Amino acid sequence: MTDIPTPASQTTQSEKRKGYWATVARDGQKMGFWFILPTMLLLLFIVVFPLLMQLYLSVTWWTPLEGIPWYRAWEVFSWGENYWFLLTDPRLWGALWRTVVIMGIAVPIQFFLGMALAYLFVDKFPGRKIFYSIMLTPMMVVPAVVGLMFFLLFQGTGPVNDHLGLPADFSWLTDVNRAMISVIIADIWQWTPLMFLILLAGMLGVPSDQLLAARLLGGSNWQNFLKIVLPRMKTVIIIALVLRAVECFKIFDLIFIMTKGGPGVQTETISLFLYKQTFGELEWAYVAAIGLTILFVLSVIAAKGLSYMAKKNG
Amino acid sequence: MSSIQINNVTKRFGDFTAVEDMCLDIEEGEFVALLGPSGCGKTTTMNMIAGLEDVTEGSILFDGQDLSGTKIQDRNIGFVFQNYAIFTHLSVYKNLSYGLEVKKVDKAEIDRRVKAMADRMSISHRLDQPASSLSVNEMQKLAIGRSAIVEPRIFLLDEPLSNLDAGFRAYMRAELKVLQHEFGQTMIYVTHDQIEAMSLADKIAIIDQGKLMQYGSPLEIYNNPANRFVANFVGSPRMNLIDGELREERGTLRLMVHGGAEIPLSGQVRSEFSSDTKVHSGSFGIRPQDIYFGARRAEDDIEMHGTVEVLERVGPKRLVYLQVLETMFLAIDDQDQLNVGDEVPFYMPPAKSLAFDLASGRRLGG
Repeated sequence: MTDIPTPASQTTQSEKRKGYWATVARDGQKMGFWFILPTMLLLLFIVVFPLLMQLYLSVTWWTPLEGIPWYRAWEVFSWGENYWFLLTDPRLWGALWRTVVIMGIAVPIQFFLGMALAYLFVDKFPGRKIFYSIMLTPMMVVPAVVGLMFFLLFQGTGPVNDHLGLPADFSWLTDVNRAMISVIIADIWQWTPLMFLILLAGMLGVPSDQLLAARLLGGSNWQNFLKIVLPRMKTVIIIALVLRAVECFKIFDLIFIMTKGGPGVQTETISLFLYKQTFGELEWAYVAAIGLTILFVLSVIAAKGLSYMAKKNG
Repeated sequence: MSSIQINNVTKRFGDFTAVEDMCLDIEEGEFVALLGPSGCGKTTTMNMIAGLEDVTEGSILFDGQDLSGTKIQDRNIGFVFQNYAIFTHLSVYKNLSYGLEVKKVDKAEIDRRVKAMADRMSISHRLDQPASSLSVNEMQKLAIGRSAIVEPRIFLLDEPLSNLDAGFRAYMRAELKVLQHEFGQTMIYVTHDQIEAMSLADKIAIIDQGKLMQYGSPLEIYNNPANRFVANFVGSPRMNLIDGELREERGTLRLMVHGGAEIPLSGQVRSEFSSDTKVHSGSFGIRPQDIYFGARRAEDDIEMHGTVEVLERVGPKRLVYLQVLETMFLAIDDQDQLNVGDEVPFYMPPAKSLAFDLASGRRLGG
C-alpha cells in the first residue's frame, strides 16, 4: 500500500460514497416494496380474506351441515337475522355477564393481593429470594394443568372438603354458586403472581429517598403509600389491570377443564360459549356474526381509550 | 430545637465497623459540620442521628432523651438529602405542604405557612408548577423549605451543596448560614469539602475510618490539629508533612528524610519531638504560608535550601514548589521575587511547626 490518500482524494471518495447511499435509499424504496410483498400477501390471506369470508357468512344461515360449500352460502341468505338474534340471545348475554362477573371479582382481588405482597417484598428479609421464586410458580404452570389441579382439589372427596371437614356430597364444581367461586379461586391462584410481579417492579421503581423524605416529614406508612407510592405507580397499575382484565376476559382452559361451563351454563364464559357454538352446535354463521360484533365493539373501545390517553398525555 | 449527645456510638455492618466509639456533644442551636473523606462514616453517623440506621452500641440523646424506640415519623427531624428527594410528581406547593398535611394541620394554616416559606425561599412564583420543572438551584431551596416548614427539632443536611454550580454554591453557603441563624435550629451538616465546613460551621467534627479525629471550632482545628490526619486534611493549600527518622547528631536533633534531606530541629518543635523518647520516626508539619524567604526573622528559625521547581499563580500570590533533594516543600511567595531554577534559602519558624508521631499520627507536645 504505497498509495496514501491525500485530503483531496478523501473528499471525492466520501462524496462518491454519499451518492452511492443516496442511490441505495432511492432504489431501496422500490426494493423494500418487493421485500415486504410476500408478507403482505400472507397477511392478506390470513387476515383480510378470513375477515371478508366471515362477513359473508355472518349474513347467511350457512352451517357445515347445510350440504353446500361455504362459497354458495348466498343460497341461504338471511340478511341481518344473526345480528338481530345475538342482541336477544339470553345465553350469549348470560355468558358475557358471567365473564364480566369473573373479571370483576378476580382481577380486583388479584390486584389487592398482588399489591399487598409487593409491599411485603419491597424490603429485604431473610429468605426473600426463595419466597419470591415460590410466589411466581403458579404463573408458570400451564392453565390447563391448573384447571386439572383445582378440578381434583374441589372434588367431593377431594382435599378441600377433607380439610374443611365437609361431607363428600358437598359439591363445589356441580353447585350453581360454588362452581363460580371455585373457578374464580383457581384464576386468582394462578394470576395473582403476575400482578405481584408487575406491581413489585413498579414499587421498586419508587425512589427510596423520596419515601424516606416523606417518612422524615412525619407521614405515616399509609399516608406515604397513598400520596407517594401509588401516584408514582399509576402507569404500572394501569398496565397490570388492563393486562389482567384482557386476559381474564378470554378465560377458557381453566373453566373448560374444571366445569366445562357447567353446571348447565353457570360458569359458561364468552370464550366457552363461542367454542360450544362453533364445535358443538356448528352454528358457524351465528358465531361469525358474534365475532364481528365483538371486533367492532372492542375497536371502538380501543380507539376511545387511545384518544383519551393521547389527550391526557398531550 | 434540641441539643444532641452522641455517647460512645459504634455502628457495625456485619464485620465492617463503619463508626467506632464516636462521642460528640452538640449544643442547642449549634451548626456542626461532619467532615471527612468519602466512606469515612460521616453519612452513617448522620443516618444514625436521623434514625435511618440503628445504633449497634452506645446511645444518641436529644435533650437527654433517647429516641431509639421512636418511629422515624415521630422524631421530627429535618433532613435534606444530597439529591434533595423532591416529590417530582407533586407541585411545589404540595411538596411544601406535605409535612403539614400528614399532620392534619388546618387548611388555612397550611396555606399561610406554605406561602410564607415559599416567600422566604423565593420560590413563590413557582408554587403551582410541578416540582419536576424546577432547576437544581430551586430544588435545593425547595428541599430546605420543605424540611424547615415543619419546624423540626434538628436539621440534618447531607452534602447539600455538592450538586450545585460554583456560583450558586457560594450564594447558598451564605444563605444557609443566614437560614441557620433565622431558624435558630441545631444543624448538622455532612460534607467532604473542608472549605464549606470551615466557612459555615460553628464546630467541625473530623472523621476518618469511622473514628472521630478531632472536634472543635474551625480555627482550633486549623491552628491546632490533634493529629497528622487532621493536619493533612484541613487547609488549602495543604500543610507540608515531612516524614522521617529522628536522629541526635552533633548536639542537634535532626529529622532524616528518605532521599537525604535533613531538617535540623530547633526551639519549640524540637522539644515537642523529644517530649516522647519512645518516638523514633516523626512527621514534621508546617503550613505553606508559614515558610518565608529573605532575611532570617528569628534566631531559632529553621533554615533550609531548596531549588524552585514550579511556580503556580494563585491570585496575587504564587505557590512555590521547593525541591530539597528528593523532598518537596510547598511555600507561598507573595513578593514575586523567585524564578524557576533558583536555589534559595528558606526559613521555618519552630513555633509554627507541628510535630507528629509517624506511627500513630498523634500530635506530640503541643
